[in-house]
Amino acid sequence: MTIFEFALKRSFGNPTNLIFLSLFPLAAIFLPQSELWPALPYGYHYFGILLLFVAIRLTAILIEDRTSGIVKRLAVAPITHFSYLSQNLLAFACILVLQCTVVVAGGVLYGQELGQPLMLLVLYVSFAFTALAMAVAWVALYRSKEIAFLVYMTIIVLLSLLGGMLFPVEMIPEPLSRVIMVLPTYWLTDGMAWVTSGGDLLDFWLANGVLWLYTIIFLTLGSVRKIH
Amino acid sequence: MSPVPYVQGWRFLQIVALIHLWIAGDARPSLFLLILLLLILVCLRWRFPLPPWTAALDIGAAALFMPFTPLAGYALALPIFELALAGRWLLALPLAAGLLLAQGDPAVGLWFFAASLFFGGFARVSLRNERLYQQEVDEQRKARQELERFRTELLAAGRASAHQAELMERYRIARQLHDHLGHDLTGASLALQAYDYVKEPEEAAKLLAEVRRRIERSTDSLRETVHNATPVARIGIERLEQVVQGYGELGLHFVKTGDMQRIQAYQWDLLESCLKEALTNVARHSNATEVRIELQTGEAIVRLLVQDNGTLPDTGQPGTGLKNLQLRARALGGSLSISRGQGVLLVCVIPLEERGEPDEAADRG
Amino acid sequence: MRVLSTVPWTLRRMSRDYLVLLLLLGVPIVLLSLFSYLMGNAMAESGRLLFHDTAQQMIMSFQLFSGSVVMSYLYYDLFTEKRMRIFTLPFNKSLYAFSIMLCGTVYSLVLGVLLMTYAQLVLGVVWEHWVWMSYNLLLLSVVSSIVSLILMFSVRSFKTAERLTEIYGVGFIVLAGLFFPMPDNAVMNFLGSYGNPLTLSDGAVTAMANGEAGEAWLQANVLAAASLVLFPLMLLLGRRKMR
Repeated sequence: MTIFEFALKRSFGNPTNLIFLSLFPLAAIFLPQSELWPALPYGYHYFGILLLFVAIRLTAILIEDRTSGIVKRLAVAPITHFSYLSQNLLAFACILVLQCTVVVAGGVLYGQELGQPLMLLVLYVSFAFTALAMAVAWVALYRSKEIAFLVYMTIIVLLSLLGGMLFPVEMIPEPLSRVIMVLPTYWLTDGMAWVTSGGDLLDFWLANGVLWLYTIIFLTLGSVRKIH
Repeated sequence: MSPVPYVQGWRFLQIVALIHLWIAGDARPSLFLLILLLLILVCLRWRFPLPPWTAALDIGAAALFMPFTPLAGYALALPIFELALAGRWLLALPLAAGLLLAQGDPAVGLWFFAASLFFGGFARVSLRNERLYQQEVDEQRKARQELERFRTELLAAGRASAHQAELMERYRIARQLHDHLGHDLTGASLALQAYDYVKEPEEAAKLLAEVRRRIERSTDSLRETVHNATPVARIGIERLEQVVQGYGELGLHFVKTGDMQRIQAYQWDLLESCLKEALTNVARHSNATEVRIELQTGEAIVRLLVQDNGTLPDTGQPGTGLKNLQLRARALGGSLSISRGQGVLLVCVIPLEERGEPDEAADRG
Repeated sequence: MRVLSTVPWTLRRMSRDYLVLLLLLGVPIVLLSLFSYLMGNAMAESGRLLFHDTAQQMIMSFQLFSGSVVMSYLYYDLFTEKRMRIFTLPFNKSLYAFSIMLCGTVYSLVLGVLLMTYAQLVLGVVWEHWVWMSYNLLLLSVVSSIVSLILMFSVRSFKTAERLTEIYGVGFIVLAGLFFPMPDNAVMNFLGSYGNPLTLSDGAVTAMANGEAGEAWLQANVLAAASLVLFPLMLLLGRRKMR
């Protein structure tokens, strides 16, 4: 588990990461509640976007490893690519799950109206894994950390915009409102709507299931080993 | 280009088609699970080579959703494609037929399946062809490398045998000198020493006659040895001059500089071939009237230049003869180049072996 | 005036920077189109298209990031890769830095105007005062460039400076209340009105559109004054850092 430990250390070693990992989630807890839309407090409604950002920041380590030739050295070291990747991902996942737990628990303690906090936590964890898998698949395409991050930023904006995170899904006109169902963020907002307003429990698990299937898909795509 | 990206693209395209059908249909959220399940299989096939039986997983996923939606029927295009790709398209046929009949409205789906089946079969053929081509290319590459190695070995062997022949010849001459010339001369020398001590004139005259006889015999032996050692065929620079004389009809100027002794037999061979090729080309393809040939032997290299004053335009690639010579020159560590400015200039450069190479010194003892 | 001869090349370099073009032109165009599609013909209380305000705010917001281009060019030319080459050239380095800043500002303005043109021609937003809006875009872009350079000259690591400019850009967008309403207190109100370059230029354009020329000039002048105050500071820090 050496790689796991180092992935944790490296993730917290970067000052920008530290802000993303500690300050922003804490700030999210204390953001106010809106009167009309969204149903969740702002911090919780936008938490999915934060997760997407955190995931791409964490996985930037994988690009760093590639550009600095660490992957090349690992290829001749007595360690499999699978264990390298899985230990890194485990570390990132731990950080994200911890973040989700802190945010939801903090909200409960602070007295935010979260509907069903436990279910919200489950949903956040599911989405955290999806975000992580998406980021892994994304960084597999790039050689430069900066470019991967900047282009992904625009993807995040589009994803959150179309997924109904910056904009109520109901306001999206008919043909597009069907198309956006293929976006993972749509299923996050779908789940969040269930958390606040309730409904068929099966719908909630469907949203989670879709997110997990997306996780598997993106992990399969992102697990390629690229040696430059 | 490899057909693999097209195969992968087809798989993802079918997922996109399913998504389109789903959105255009009732877009029930639960049906999206089916599409994602199939997408996982497609992604796995993209990452790893899955065995053909995994098509059963696609069929299973589709069968699970079959009672709820016609979309699951269209999803069968994926396993049909996989089966066709694996060459089991006969298995796919009853599958498609049975399910189509069960679906009720077979019109569009039928052609969808037919397209999958055909492209699957086509992809199978292209993939196999690609594999065959690759095998063949690999074999040819291997053969070429073998040939290259063989030629290098042959050259080395030629060089070694030339060296060996030279040593043997040297040894033969040495032995001849020692056996015949040496004995007689030593005998003569001893007889002359004895002559000083002989008092009787009769005895002395006899000794002197003996000395003369021996010296005469050794002179004969020396002549014979030298005669035997002189080759009948012309070698080296003489050979080159002979070649030049063979093309008397052209205006030829042959200039040579440097120490010709340093050029080895196998190097002479290449120089001769180059000269012959160049002169043949001039005679055959060019309108040149003057040819200047220069052989320069320097410290480290020998250089052969053949410059003509032809004016015909370039006809493209050099011929096989020149290409072969280029390869031979390269094998000797040198180079052969042809440039066209005013007329054609052929330059062949071969590195010379260093003076007094250690092994030669060792041979000499 | 040797510096002047480098200007066309700087502009050419900028126009070939595809990543910047993607982020500051491609993304806004996509977002504008998307918002236009989503909002349709919804009307605001003022009687204008709801999308009109959104488009105006978005085009303004992207000016906040104009400084990052200037920053990265200065970083490459004067501090890292090309430093030695530039320093051997017989011209005034400060002037060269200034020319890059001007080019970056103009470049950003051109991108803004392109977005305005796109919004008017394709998306049907009718801008009332093209010149006034462009002037405000320019002011915003100048202020952003100056702020970015001050940040770059005052911190040691370039990465930190980059992060700080991102915080400057995103921060003022958040403070302007575009994502969610800000808490109602004196500090936040100030940062959401006269203390925020984005709301100042946005307010100036809106005021001019409503016929309140006095208020419009007041807001624009606050912005101009801010850049006049910050400019000497930037010069001071920059000369110290470049030495």
